[in-house]
Amino acid sequence: MKAIAAKSACKLTAGALALSTAFPALAFASEGEETGGISAILPDPIEFVPMLIAFIILWIILAKFGWPMFNGMLEKRENTIREALKKSEEAQVESERVLAEYKQQLADAKAQSAEILSEARNTADAVKAEITAKAQAEAADMIAKAKVAIEAEKKQAIVELQGSVADISVDVASKIIGQDLSDDEHRKIIERYVSEAGGFNAN
Amino acid sequence: MPTNRLVAKEEVATYAGFLLNAANDAGGQDAVIEVRDQMDKILRIMNSDMDLSMALADASYTPKQRHALAEAVFADCNPTLREVLAVMAERGNISMLHRVFESYGQQLGEKLNLCVVDVTTVVPLDDHLRQIITQKAEADLGKKVVLRECIDKSILGGIIMSANGKRIDGSVSTQLAVARNELKDSTDGGEC
Repeated sequence: MKAIAAKSACKLTAGALALSTAFPALAFASEGEETGGISAILPDPIEFVPMLIAFIILWIILAKFGWPMFNGMLEKRENTIREALKKSEEAQVESERVLAEYKQQLADAKAQSAEILSEARNTADAVKAEITAKAQAEAADMIAKAKVAIEAEKKQAIVELQGSVADISVDVASKIIGQDLSDDEHRKIIERYVSEAGGFNAN
Repeated sequence: MPTNRLVAKEEVATYAGFLLNAANDAGGQDAVIEVRDQMDKILRIMNSDMDLSMALADASYTPKQRHALAEAVFADCNPTLREVLAVMAERGNISMLHRVFESYGQQLGEKLNLCVVDVTTVVPLDDHLRQIITQKAEADLGKKVVLRECIDKSILGGIIMSANGKRIDGSVSTQLAVARNELKDSTDGGEC
């Protein structure tokens, strides 16, 4: 429908233009008759009336068909722009909301990471302290055991040395007594032992 | 074979008493001491020779075979002792010989008021030492003492006296052993 109306408006406009172009011949024909005075600024009725009629017709046609179309296009354009603005505003609001949400999430993440880092640092300190204490305890235990072992080895060595000295001393004494004592000396020893020894009833 | 301890003790006392009386009747104190010495040697031999001990107590032999075996083995011993050993082997009582020897020594003191003291030294005793030892033993035991002397170089010196299961060890080897143990056991805790 709008296309048909547009075509008819075009036809009318073309007709009006053709009419206005048909009368200038008449107007130029009358220029040679009255060229001076007020008539120079007043329109020639012969030209003026058709032009006025053509103008009115043109104006009616435009008012009837062109203006609504133009007005419709403007309204449509306005609506489109308004909707676009509205959408852009909504998008801006949404983007601001999302941005705020992201900022909040970023802040939460930063706080959480800081908390995790702090906990990790505390845990590491505790583990470090525990490992250090355990290592110190184990070292002290090892030192104590080593001291005990050394002391035991020392005592064992002393005992063995005492045993060796005793064996050697007794062996030397045995050889000296067995080889160097005469029979009379043995008899003196026997006599001394008999006199010094306890009786049968004492044993 | 007796199982009651009192019966066994009575048997041991009977063997020892018979031996003592028979030896005393046959040869007096010398025979008594001789029987004791031979019994002591037989005990030593039987302790060191298990085949002999087992053969004399072997139940697979007849009593007569064990009797004949004992008489043959101990043919050189005092006749009284030989006969008693043969009877003990015949009756399966040869394992009691050690207790018979102890009972013999006890009855020797009880019946004859006599005690045999075994004296072990490195050198032979002279009369002076014999007198000292005899006086000491008689004073201690309250009985007449007979010394049985033995030479043993391993004791290194000094004297060992034993009677009725009691022992006085004054040997140098024992003194050295005591000294050795004291040296080894002394822990004064001092630094080396």
